[in-house]
Amino acid sequence: MTTATIVRPEHSAVRPTHRPGFSDLTRSEWTKIKTLRSTWWSLAAMIVLSVGFSVIACIITTHDYPTLDAATRAEFHQDTIGLILQPGEGFASLAVCVLGVLLITSEYSTGMIRATTLAAPKRTSALLAKAAALAGLVFVVSELVAIPAFFIGSAITGKYASTSITDPIDLRSILAFGVYMTGISLIALSIGALVRHTAAGISIMLALQFVLAGVLTLIPGSFGQHLSNALPLGADVIVSSGHNAQNIYTPLQGLLILLAWVVVLGGAALATVKRRDV
Amino acid sequence: MTTTPANAAAPAIEARGLTKTYGKKTVVDHLTFQVHTGRVTGFLGPNGAGKSTTMRLLLGLERPDSGTALIHGKPYASLSAPLSHVGALLEAKAFHKGRSARNHLVALAQSQALPLTRVDEVLDVVGLHDVAKQRAGAYSLGMAQRLGIAAALLGDPRIVLLDEPVNGLDPEGVFWIRNLMKKLAAQGRAVLVSSHLMNEMAVTADHLLVIGKGRLLADCTTAEFIERHTDPAVYAATPAVARPALLEEAFMRLTASAVEYAAR
Repeated sequence: MTTATIVRPEHSAVRPTHRPGFSDLTRSEWTKIKTLRSTWWSLAAMIVLSVGFSVIACIITTHDYPTLDAATRAEFHQDTIGLILQPGEGFASLAVCVLGVLLITSEYSTGMIRATTLAAPKRTSALLAKAAALAGLVFVVSELVAIPAFFIGSAITGKYASTSITDPIDLRSILAFGVYMTGISLIALSIGALVRHTAAGISIMLALQFVLAGVLTLIPGSFGQHLSNALPLGADVIVSSGHNAQNIYTPLQGLLILLAWVVVLGGAALATVKRRDV
Repeated sequence: MTTTPANAAAPAIEARGLTKTYGKKTVVDHLTFQVHTGRVTGFLGPNGAGKSTTMRLLLGLERPDSGTALIHGKPYASLSAPLSHVGALLEAKAFHKGRSARNHLVALAQSQALPLTRVDEVLDVVGLHDVAKQRAGAYSLGMAQRLGIAAALLGDPRIVLLDEPVNGLDPEGVFWIRNLMKKLAAQGRAVLVSSHLMNEMAVTADHLLVIGKGRLLADCTTAEFIERHTDPAVYAATPAVARPALLEEAFMRLTASAVEYAAR
Protein backbone atom coordinates (compact mmCIF):
# COMPACT_ATOMS: atom_id res chain seq x y z
CA MET A 1 0.00 0.00 0.00
CA THR A 2 1.31 3.45 -0.82
CA THR A 3 0.98 6.62 1.14
CA ALA A 4 -1.50 7.91 -1.43
CA THR A 5 -4.16 5.58 -0.06
CA ILE A 6 -3.88 6.88 3.49
CA VAL A 7 -7.10 8.27 4.88
CA ARG A 8 -7.37 10.18 8.11
CA PRO A 9 -8.12 8.09 11.17
CA GLU A 10 -11.75 8.40 12.23
CA HIS A 11 -10.94 9.72 15.69
CA SER A 12 -7.89 11.80 14.98
CA ALA A 13 -9.02 14.28 17.64
CA VAL A 14 -8.50 11.73 20.41
CA ARG A 15 -5.52 13.02 22.30
CA PRO A 16 -4.67 13.23 25.96
CA THR A 17 -6.15 16.40 27.41
CA HIS A 18 -2.79 17.11 29.04
CA ARG A 19 0.53 15.38 29.60
CA PRO A 20 -0.46 12.51 31.89
CA GLY A 21 1.24 12.58 35.26
CA PHE A 22 1.16 10.95 38.66
CA SER A 23 -2.27 12.36 39.53
CA ASP A 24 -3.74 10.70 36.41
CA LEU A 25 -2.17 7.38 37.38
CA THR A 26 -3.51 7.74 40.91
CA ARG A 27 -6.98 8.48 39.56
CA SER A 28 -6.70 5.36 37.42
CA GLU A 29 -5.61 3.24 40.38
CA TRP A 30 -8.42 4.67 42.47
CA THR A 31 -10.90 3.65 39.76
CA LYS A 32 -9.43 0.16 39.85
CA ILE A 33 -9.82 -0.16 43.63
CA LYS A 34 -13.33 1.23 43.82
CA THR A 35 -14.70 -0.83 40.92
CA LEU A 36 -14.07 -4.16 42.65
CA ARG A 37 -16.89 -5.38 44.84
CA SER A 38 -14.45 -7.25 47.09
CA THR A 39 -13.00 -3.90 48.22
CA TRP A 40 -16.31 -2.73 49.58
CA TRP A 41 -17.50 -5.86 51.29
CA SER A 42 -14.14 -6.41 52.96
CA LEU A 43 -14.06 -2.80 54.20
CA ALA A 44 -17.68 -2.95 55.36
CA ALA A 45 -16.87 -6.12 57.29
CA MET A 46 -13.82 -4.38 58.72
CA ILE A 47 -15.87 -1.44 60.01
CA VAL A 48 -18.59 -3.59 61.59
CA LEU A 49 -16.27 -6.16 63.20
CA SER A 50 -13.67 -3.68 64.43
CA VAL A 51 -16.13 -1.24 65.97
CA GLY A 52 -18.02 -4.23 67.39
CA PHE A 53 -14.93 -5.67 69.06
CA SER A 54 -13.90 -2.33 70.53
CA VAL A 55 -17.37 -1.85 71.97
CA ILE A 56 -17.52 -5.38 73.40
CA ALA A 57 -14.07 -4.96 75.00
CA CYS A 58 -15.15 -1.64 76.55
CA ILE A 59 -18.36 -3.17 77.90
CA ILE A 60 -16.56 -6.12 79.47
CA THR A 61 -13.73 -4.13 81.06
CA THR A 62 -16.07 -1.44 82.35
CA HIS A 63 -18.40 -4.07 83.76
CA ASP A 64 -15.48 -5.81 85.49
CA TYR A 65 -13.99 -2.55 86.79
CA PRO A 66 -15.17 -2.97 90.43
CA THR A 67 -13.41 -6.35 90.61
CA LEU A 68 -10.13 -5.31 88.89
CA ASP A 69 -6.86 -5.21 90.82
CA ALA A 70 -5.06 -1.93 91.38
CA ALA A 71 -2.56 -2.36 88.54
CA THR A 72 -5.24 -3.10 85.95
CA ARG A 73 -7.29 -0.18 87.21
CA ALA A 74 -4.30 2.10 86.84
CA GLU A 75 -3.93 0.95 83.24
CA PHE A 76 -7.63 1.56 82.67
CA HIS A 77 -7.12 5.17 83.75
CA GLN A 78 -3.75 5.80 82.12
CA ASP A 79 -4.56 4.30 78.76
CA THR A 80 -8.32 4.46 78.32
CA ILE A 81 -7.85 5.43 74.67
CA GLY A 82 -5.77 2.29 74.01
CA LEU A 83 -8.40 0.23 75.76
CA ILE A 84 -11.06 1.67 73.47
CA LEU A 85 -9.23 1.56 70.12
CA GLN A 86 -6.80 -1.36 70.26
CA PRO A 87 -9.34 -4.23 70.48
CA GLY A 88 -10.57 -3.27 66.99
CA GLU A 89 -7.11 -3.50 65.46
CA GLY A 90 -7.13 -7.24 64.90
CA PHE A 91 -10.02 -7.40 62.48
CA ALA A 92 -9.16 -4.07 60.89
CA SER A 93 -5.59 -5.09 60.16
CA LEU A 94 -6.75 -8.51 58.90
CA ALA A 95 -8.97 -6.80 56.30
CA VAL A 96 -6.24 -4.31 55.43
CA CYS A 97 -3.60 -7.06 55.00
CA VAL A 98 -5.82 -8.97 52.58
CA LEU A 99 -6.82 -5.82 50.70
CA GLY A 100 -3.24 -4.63 50.33
CA VAL A 101 -1.86 -7.96 49.10
CA LEU A 102 -4.79 -8.62 46.73
CA LEU A 103 -4.59 -5.19 45.16
CA ILE A 104 -1.35 -6.14 43.45
CA THR A 105 -1.36 -9.96 43.34
CA SER A 106 -4.76 -10.00 41.60
CA GLU A 107 -3.14 -8.04 38.76
CA TYR A 108 -0.50 -10.73 38.38
CA SER A 109 -2.98 -13.60 38.59
CA THR A 110 -5.36 -12.09 36.01
CA GLY A 111 -2.83 -10.67 33.55
CA MET A 112 -4.04 -7.14 34.32
CA ILE A 113 -0.46 -6.28 35.29
CA ARG A 114 0.49 -6.23 31.60
CA ALA A 115 -2.27 -3.74 30.80
CA THR A 116 -1.10 -1.66 33.76
CA THR A 117 2.55 -1.81 32.68
CA LEU A 118 1.73 -0.91 29.07
CA ALA A 119 -0.18 2.12 30.33
CA ALA A 120 2.59 3.12 32.74
CA PRO A 121 5.82 1.63 31.42
CA LYS A 122 7.95 3.33 34.05
CA ARG A 123 6.61 0.64 36.40
CA THR A 124 7.51 2.24 39.72
CA SER A 125 5.07 5.09 39.13
CA ALA A 126 2.16 2.64 38.78
CA LEU A 127 3.08 0.96 42.08
CA LEU A 128 3.44 4.33 43.80
CA ALA A 129 0.06 5.43 42.41
CA LYS A 130 -1.47 2.21 43.67
CA ALA A 131 0.07 2.88 47.08
CA ALA A 132 -1.33 6.41 47.12
CA ALA A 133 -4.85 5.29 46.23
CA LEU A 134 -4.72 2.45 48.77
CA ALA A 135 -3.31 4.68 51.52
CA GLY A 136 -6.04 7.28 51.02
CA LEU A 137 -8.80 4.69 51.10
CA VAL A 138 -7.43 2.79 54.10
CA PHE A 139 -6.86 5.96 56.12
CA VAL A 140 -10.42 7.19 55.59
CA VAL A 141 -12.04 3.82 56.28
CA SER A 142 -9.86 3.31 59.38
CA GLU A 143 -11.05 6.63 60.73
CA LEU A 144 -14.59 5.40 60.10
CA VAL A 145 -13.66 2.64 62.54
CA ALA A 146 -11.75 4.78 65.04
CA ILE A 147 -14.19 7.68 65.35
CA PRO A 148 -17.37 5.68 66.12
CA ALA A 149 -15.37 3.27 68.29
CA PHE A 150 -14.03 6.26 70.23
CA PHE A 151 -17.41 7.89 70.87
CA ILE A 152 -19.20 4.67 71.78
CA GLY A 153 -16.22 3.45 73.84
CA SER A 154 -15.94 6.82 75.61
CA ALA A 155 -19.60 6.69 76.59
CA ILE A 156 -19.18 3.19 78.00
CA THR A 157 -15.88 3.72 79.83
CA GLY A 158 -17.02 7.17 80.95
CA LYS A 159 -18.37 5.60 84.11
CA TYR A 160 -14.82 5.33 85.50
CA ALA A 161 -12.52 7.27 83.20
CA SER A 162 -12.69 10.32 81.01
CA THR A 163 -11.68 10.67 77.40
CA SER A 164 -12.22 13.58 75.08
CA ILE A 165 -11.81 14.27 71.39
CA THR A 166 -10.22 17.58 72.37
CA ASP A 167 -7.60 15.84 74.48
CA PRO A 168 -4.36 15.91 72.43
CA ILE A 169 -3.41 12.34 73.29
CA ASP A 170 -6.87 10.96 72.56
CA LEU A 171 -7.09 12.87 69.28
CA ARG A 172 -3.58 11.78 68.31
CA SER A 173 -4.50 8.15 69.00
CA ILE A 174 -7.64 8.38 66.87
CA LEU A 175 -5.59 9.73 63.95
CA ALA A 176 -2.83 7.22 64.67
CA PHE A 177 -5.33 4.38 64.19
CA GLY A 178 -5.65 5.47 60.55
CA VAL A 179 -1.90 5.97 60.21
CA TYR A 180 -1.24 2.51 61.65
CA MET A 181 -3.71 0.79 59.29
CA THR A 182 -2.33 2.76 56.35
CA GLY A 183 1.18 1.59 57.22
CA ILE A 184 0.01 -2.04 57.46
CA SER A 185 -1.74 -1.74 54.09
CA LEU A 186 1.44 -0.42 52.44
CA ILE A 187 3.49 -3.25 53.97
CA ALA A 188 0.91 -5.71 52.59
CA LEU A 189 1.05 -4.07 49.14
CA SER A 190 4.85 -4.31 49.17
CA ILE A 191 4.80 -7.99 50.17
CA GLY A 192 2.25 -8.64 47.42
CA ALA A 193 4.43 -6.88 44.85
CA LEU A 194 7.47 -8.88 45.97
CA VAL A 195 5.87 -12.35 45.88
CA ARG A 196 3.28 -11.71 43.10
CA HIS A 197 1.17 -14.55 44.41
CA THR A 198 -2.05 -14.14 46.41
CA ALA A 199 -1.86 -17.14 48.73
CA ALA A 200 1.84 -16.65 49.44
CA GLY A 201 1.42 -12.90 49.99
CA ILE A 202 -1.49 -13.26 52.39
CA SER A 203 0.25 -16.09 54.28
CA ILE A 204 3.42 -14.04 54.76
CA MET A 205 1.42 -11.01 55.82
CA LEU A 206 -0.68 -12.93 58.34
CA ALA A 207 2.42 -14.66 59.72
CA LEU A 208 4.12 -11.29 60.13
CA GLN A 209 1.11 -9.67 61.70
CA PHE A 210 -0.47 -12.42 63.80
CA VAL A 211 2.02 -15.26 64.38
CA LEU A 212 5.57 -13.96 64.51
CA ALA A 213 5.15 -11.72 67.57
CA GLY A 214 4.11 -14.69 69.70
CA VAL A 215 7.02 -16.77 68.46
CA LEU A 216 9.59 -14.02 69.10
CA THR A 217 8.47 -13.53 72.70
CA LEU A 218 9.56 -17.12 73.33
CA ILE A 219 13.16 -15.91 73.05
CA PRO A 220 14.29 -15.59 76.66
CA GLY A 221 15.05 -12.24 78.23
CA SER A 222 14.11 -8.76 77.09
CA PHE A 223 15.70 -9.34 73.67
CA GLY A 224 12.70 -11.34 72.48
CA GLN A 225 10.34 -8.70 73.85
CA HIS A 226 12.16 -5.92 72.05
CA LEU A 227 12.28 -7.91 68.84
CA SER A 228 8.61 -8.79 68.97
CA ASN A 229 7.68 -5.18 69.65
CA ALA A 230 9.75 -4.06 66.68
CA LEU A 231 7.35 -5.89 64.36
CA PRO A 232 4.67 -3.83 62.58
CA LEU A 233 2.25 -5.24 65.15
CA GLY A 234 4.23 -3.60 67.96
CA ALA A 235 3.96 -0.25 66.23
CA ASP A 236 0.34 -0.14 67.40
CA VAL A 237 1.72 1.59 70.48
CA ILE A 238 0.96 4.73 68.47
CA VAL A 239 -2.72 3.92 69.05
CA SER A 240 -2.44 4.48 72.81
CA SER A 241 -1.47 7.02 75.40
CA GLY A 242 1.89 5.30 75.65
CA HIS A 243 1.37 5.05 79.41
CA ASN A 244 0.78 1.34 79.49
CA ALA A 245 3.03 -0.95 81.51
CA GLN A 246 3.21 -3.47 78.65
CA ASN A 247 4.67 -0.99 76.20
CA ILE A 248 8.38 -1.24 75.55
CA TYR A 249 8.57 1.54 72.99
CA THR A 250 7.06 5.01 73.07
CA PRO A 251 4.44 6.09 70.52
CA LEU A 252 7.13 8.08 68.66
CA GLN A 253 9.35 5.01 68.49
CA GLY A 254 6.32 3.02 67.33
CA LEU A 255 5.79 5.48 64.49
CA LEU A 256 9.45 5.14 63.47
CA ILE A 257 9.17 1.33 63.55
CA LEU A 258 6.12 1.49 61.26
CA LEU A 259 7.86 3.92 58.92
CA ALA A 260 10.97 1.76 58.79
CA TRP A 261 8.94 -1.27 57.75
CA VAL A 262 7.09 0.70 55.08
CA VAL A 263 10.28 2.27 53.69
CA VAL A 264 12.34 -0.95 53.67
CA LEU A 265 9.67 -3.23 52.20
CA GLY A 266 8.29 -0.53 49.91
CA GLY A 267 11.79 0.24 48.65
CA ALA A 268 12.44 -3.45 48.02
CA ALA A 269 9.13 -3.75 46.16
CA LEU A 270 9.87 -0.71 43.97
CA ALA A 271 13.37 -1.94 43.15
CA THR A 272 12.08 -5.41 42.27
CA VAL A 273 9.16 -4.17 40.16
CA LYS A 274 11.52 -1.90 38.23
CA ARG A 275 13.93 -4.73 37.45
CA ARG A 276 11.57 -7.62 36.76
CA ASP A 277 9.88 -8.57 33.48
CA VAL A 278 6.10 -8.74 33.55
CA MET B 1 2.10 18.37 22.01
CA THR B 2 3.71 15.65 24.01
CA THR B 3 2.10 12.82 22.11
CA THR B 4 3.52 13.72 18.73
CA PRO B 5 6.27 11.33 17.75
CA ALA B 6 9.74 12.38 18.82
CA ASN B 7 10.92 11.73 15.32
CA ALA B 8 8.19 11.67 12.71
CA ALA B 9 10.64 10.37 10.10
CA ALA B 10 11.59 7.36 12.22
CA PRO B 11 9.95 4.04 11.36
CA ALA B 12 6.85 3.20 13.40
CA ILE B 13 8.64 0.24 14.94
CA GLU B 14 12.30 -0.57 14.72
CA ALA B 15 14.26 -3.47 16.18
CA ARG B 16 18.04 -3.29 16.03
CA GLY B 17 19.98 -6.41 16.93
CA LEU B 18 17.33 -7.38 19.45
CA THR B 19 18.46 -10.36 21.52
CA LYS B 20 16.89 -12.12 24.47
CA THR B 21 18.06 -15.26 26.20
CA TYR B 22 16.48 -17.32 28.94
CA GLY B 23 19.34 -19.13 30.58
CA LYS B 24 21.24 -20.78 27.74
CA LYS B 25 18.35 -20.62 25.30
CA THR B 26 18.40 -17.72 22.85
CA VAL B 27 14.76 -16.94 22.18
CA VAL B 28 15.28 -13.80 20.11
CA ASP B 29 18.53 -13.75 18.18
CA HIS B 30 19.83 -10.45 16.77
CA LEU B 31 16.54 -9.41 15.19
CA THR B 32 16.71 -6.32 13.03
CA PHE B 33 13.62 -5.11 11.22
CA GLN B 34 11.31 -2.16 10.70
CA VAL B 35 7.55 -1.95 10.63
CA HIS B 36 6.00 0.85 8.59
CA THR B 37 2.70 2.66 8.61
CA GLY B 38 -0.13 2.14 6.14
CA ARG B 39 0.12 -1.63 5.91
CA VAL B 40 -0.55 -4.83 7.79
CA THR B 41 2.71 -6.56 8.61
CA GLY B 42 2.30 -10.24 9.35
CA PHE B 43 4.69 -11.62 11.94
CA LEU B 44 5.06 -15.31 11.20
CA GLY B 45 6.93 -18.17 12.73
CA PRO B 46 6.42 -21.65 14.10
CA ASN B 47 5.39 -22.04 17.74
CA GLY B 48 8.28 -21.07 19.98
CA ALA B 49 9.96 -19.00 17.27
CA GLY B 50 10.02 -15.94 19.54
CA LYS B 51 7.09 -13.93 18.16
CA SER B 52 5.48 -13.16 21.50
CA THR B 53 8.81 -12.47 23.17
CA THR B 54 9.70 -10.03 20.37
CA MET B 55 6.39 -8.22 20.86
CA ARG B 56 6.99 -8.07 24.60
CA LEU B 57 10.47 -6.65 23.96
CA LEU B 58 9.03 -3.98 21.65
CA LEU B 59 6.61 -2.99 24.41
CA GLY B 60 9.17 -2.88 27.19
CA LEU B 61 7.55 -5.69 29.15
CA GLU B 62 10.87 -7.50 28.92
CA ARG B 63 14.33 -6.09 28.63
CA PRO B 64 16.60 -7.27 25.82
CA ASP B 65 20.02 -8.69 26.64
CA SER B 66 21.33 -6.59 23.78
CA GLY B 67 19.95 -4.47 20.99
CA THR B 68 17.21 -1.87 21.04
CA ALA B 69 13.50 -1.70 20.34
CA LEU B 70 12.18 1.67 19.26
CA ILE B 71 8.73 3.15 18.76
CA HIS B 72 8.88 6.24 16.53
CA GLY B 73 12.57 6.33 17.37
CA LYS B 74 12.13 6.12 21.15
CA PRO B 75 12.07 3.23 23.61
CA TYR B 76 8.50 2.35 24.63
CA ALA B 77 9.21 3.06 28.29
CA SER B 78 10.15 6.66 27.52
CA LEU B 79 6.82 7.48 25.83
CA SER B 80 4.50 9.79 27.65
CA ALA B 81 0.88 8.60 27.21
CA PRO B 82 2.16 5.39 25.57
CA LEU B 83 -1.33 4.13 24.70
CA SER B 84 -1.67 7.09 22.33
CA HIS B 85 1.34 5.77 20.40
CA VAL B 86 0.89 2.02 20.57
CA GLY B 87 -2.12 -0.18 21.20
CA ALA B 88 -1.42 -3.82 21.93
CA LEU B 89 -3.39 -7.01 22.32
CA LEU B 90 -1.05 -9.55 23.86
CA GLU B 91 -3.33 -12.04 25.55
CA ALA B 92 -7.07 -12.48 25.51
CA LYS B 93 -7.70 -11.83 29.17
CA ALA B 94 -5.40 -9.10 30.42
CA PHE B 95 -8.02 -7.66 32.74
CA HIS B 96 -9.36 -8.24 36.24
CA LYS B 97 -12.26 -10.67 36.09
CA GLY B 98 -14.24 -8.84 38.75
CA ARG B 99 -14.29 -5.49 36.98
CA SER B 100 -16.68 -4.47 34.22
CA ALA B 101 -15.36 -3.84 30.72
CA ARG B 102 -16.32 -0.21 30.98
CA ASN B 103 -14.52 0.34 34.28
CA HIS B 104 -11.46 -1.46 32.94
CA LEU B 105 -11.33 0.96 30.02
CA VAL B 106 -12.09 3.97 32.23
CA ALA B 107 -9.09 3.14 34.43
CA LEU B 108 -6.85 2.85 31.37
CA ALA B 109 -8.20 6.09 29.87
CA GLN B 110 -7.59 7.97 33.12
CA SER B 111 -3.99 6.79 33.26
CA GLN B 112 -3.43 8.39 29.83
CA ALA B 113 -5.43 11.58 30.52
CA LEU B 114 -7.79 10.58 27.71
CA PRO B 115 -11.35 11.96 27.65
CA LEU B 116 -13.80 9.37 29.00
CA THR B 117 -16.04 9.84 25.96
CA ARG B 118 -13.38 7.79 24.16
CA VAL B 119 -14.34 4.76 26.29
CA ASP B 120 -17.84 4.69 24.81
CA GLU B 121 -16.42 5.19 21.33
CA VAL B 122 -14.17 2.13 21.49
CA LEU B 123 -16.94 0.08 23.13
CA ASP B 124 -19.05 0.90 20.07
CA VAL B 125 -16.21 0.07 17.69
CA VAL B 126 -15.80 -3.44 19.13
CA GLY B 127 -19.52 -3.99 19.68
CA LEU B 128 -19.43 -4.45 23.45
CA HIS B 129 -21.59 -1.47 24.31
CA ASP B 130 -24.58 -3.46 25.53
CA VAL B 131 -22.54 -5.71 27.81
CA ALA B 132 -20.02 -3.12 29.00
CA LYS B 133 -21.37 -3.08 32.55
CA GLN B 134 -21.08 -6.84 33.04
CA ARG B 135 -18.17 -8.40 34.90
CA ALA B 136 -15.51 -8.99 32.26
CA GLY B 137 -14.73 -12.36 33.86
CA ALA B 138 -18.06 -13.66 32.52
CA TYR B 139 -17.09 -12.88 28.92
CA SER B 140 -16.57 -15.54 26.29
CA LEU B 141 -13.16 -15.72 24.65
CA GLY B 142 -14.47 -13.77 21.67
CA MET B 143 -15.83 -11.00 23.88
CA ALA B 144 -12.61 -10.91 25.90
CA GLN B 145 -10.67 -10.55 22.65
CA ARG B 146 -12.92 -7.64 21.67
CA LEU B 147 -12.29 -5.99 25.03
CA GLY B 148 -8.55 -6.40 24.45
CA ILE B 149 -8.93 -4.71 21.06
CA ALA B 150 -10.98 -1.91 22.61
CA ALA B 151 -8.12 -1.33 25.07
CA ALA B 152 -5.63 -1.37 22.20
CA LEU B 153 -7.61 1.25 20.24
CA LEU B 154 -8.36 3.43 23.27
CA GLY B 155 -5.61 5.98 22.67
CA ASP B 156 -6.22 6.09 18.90
CA PRO B 157 -2.66 4.83 18.43
CA ARG B 158 -0.65 5.12 15.22
CA ILE B 159 0.75 1.65 15.87
CA VAL B 160 -1.25 -1.48 16.67
CA LEU B 161 0.32 -4.76 17.83
CA LEU B 162 -1.84 -7.86 17.90
CA ASP B 163 -0.53 -11.19 19.14
CA GLU B 164 -2.55 -14.08 17.70
CA PRO B 165 -5.76 -12.02 17.60
CA VAL B 166 -7.93 -14.63 15.89
CA ASN B 167 -7.15 -17.47 18.29
CA GLY B 168 -10.35 -18.97 19.60
CA LEU B 169 -12.62 -16.72 17.57
CA ASP B 170 -15.66 -17.89 15.63
CA PRO B 171 -15.75 -17.22 11.86
CA GLU B 172 -17.64 -13.99 12.34
CA GLY B 173 -15.02 -12.78 14.84
CA VAL B 174 -12.18 -13.77 12.51
CA PHE B 175 -13.84 -11.86 9.67
CA TRP B 176 -14.30 -8.83 11.91
CA ILE B 177 -10.65 -8.74 13.05
CA ARG B 178 -9.40 -9.24 9.49
CA ASN B 179 -11.39 -6.25 8.26
CA LEU B 180 -10.48 -4.18 11.29
CA MET B 181 -6.76 -4.72 10.65
CA LYS B 182 -7.12 -3.73 7.00
CA LYS B 183 -9.10 -0.66 7.98
CA LEU B 184 -6.53 0.37 10.59
CA ALA B 185 -3.76 0.07 8.01
CA ALA B 186 -5.80 2.00 5.44
CA GLN B 187 -6.17 4.77 8.01
CA GLY B 188 -2.41 5.12 7.91
CA ARG B 189 -1.50 3.12 10.98
CA ALA B 190 1.20 0.52 11.35
CA VAL B 191 -0.32 -2.87 12.14
CA LEU B 192 1.92 -5.72 13.30
CA VAL B 193 0.04 -8.97 13.74
CA SER B 194 1.51 -12.29 14.74
CA SER B 195 -0.06 -15.54 13.75
CA HIS B 196 0.72 -19.08 12.86
CA LEU B 197 -2.39 -19.34 10.69
CA MET B 198 -1.08 -19.07 7.13
CA ASN B 199 -4.40 -18.70 5.36
CA GLU B 200 -5.31 -15.88 7.69
CA MET B 201 -2.06 -14.06 6.99
CA ALA B 202 -2.28 -14.70 3.25
CA VAL B 203 -5.51 -12.71 3.03
CA THR B 204 -4.58 -10.00 5.55
CA ALA B 205 -0.89 -9.17 5.49
CA ASP B 206 0.65 -6.85 2.93
CA HIS B 207 4.13 -7.44 4.27
CA LEU B 208 5.69 -10.35 6.13
CA LEU B 209 8.31 -10.76 8.80
CA VAL B 210 9.14 -14.42 9.20
CA ILE B 211 11.21 -15.70 12.08
CA GLY B 212 12.39 -19.12 13.13
CA LYS B 213 14.30 -19.95 16.31
CA GLY B 214 14.49 -16.26 17.07
CA ARG B 215 16.18 -15.35 13.78
CA LEU B 216 14.81 -13.29 10.93
CA LEU B 217 14.22 -15.55 7.93
CA ALA B 218 12.35 -13.19 5.61
CA ASP B 219 11.30 -9.53 5.44
CA CYS B 220 9.42 -8.77 2.22
CA THR B 221 5.95 -8.31 0.75
CA THR B 222 3.59 -11.26 0.97
CA ALA B 223 3.58 -11.65 -2.81
CA GLU B 224 7.36 -11.67 -3.01
CA PHE B 225 7.57 -14.18 -0.19
CA ILE B 226 5.28 -16.59 -1.99
CA GLU B 227 7.13 -16.18 -5.25
CA ARG B 228 10.54 -16.75 -3.69
CA HIS B 229 9.75 -19.71 -1.55
CA THR B 230 7.38 -21.89 -3.52
CA ASP B 231 8.38 -24.46 -6.09
CA PRO B 232 8.82 -22.42 -9.32
CA ALA B 233 6.83 -24.94 -11.34
CA VAL B 234 3.94 -24.85 -8.87
CA TYR B 235 4.08 -21.06 -8.75
CA ALA B 236 3.99 -20.75 -12.51
CA ALA B 237 1.08 -23.17 -12.76
CA THR B 238 -1.00 -21.33 -10.17
CA PRO B 239 -3.29 -18.53 -11.34
CA ALA B 240 -2.46 -15.17 -9.74
CA VAL B 241 -5.70 -15.02 -7.72
CA ALA B 242 -4.96 -18.38 -6.13
CA ARG B 243 -1.36 -17.62 -5.22
CA PRO B 244 -2.10 -16.47 -1.63
CA ALA B 245 -3.04 -20.11 -1.00
CA LEU B 246 0.61 -21.01 -1.63
CA LEU B 247 1.74 -19.08 1.43
CA GLU B 248 1.48 -22.13 3.64
CA GLU B 249 3.72 -24.17 1.36
CA ALA B 250 6.24 -21.34 1.07
CA PHE B 251 6.30 -20.95 4.82
CA MET B 252 6.81 -24.67 5.39
CA ARG B 253 9.70 -24.81 2.95
CA LEU B 254 11.41 -21.83 4.52
CA THR B 255 10.96 -22.80 8.16
CA ALA B 256 11.47 -26.56 7.80
CA SER B 257 14.85 -26.32 9.49
CA ALA B 258 13.76 -23.74 12.03
CA VAL B 259 10.89 -25.54 13.69
CA GLU B 260 11.30 -25.64 17.44
CA TYR B 261 8.95 -28.51 18.22
CA ALA B 262 8.65 -30.99 15.37
CA ALA B 263 7.16 -34.46 15.21
CA ARG B 264 9.73 -36.99 14.05
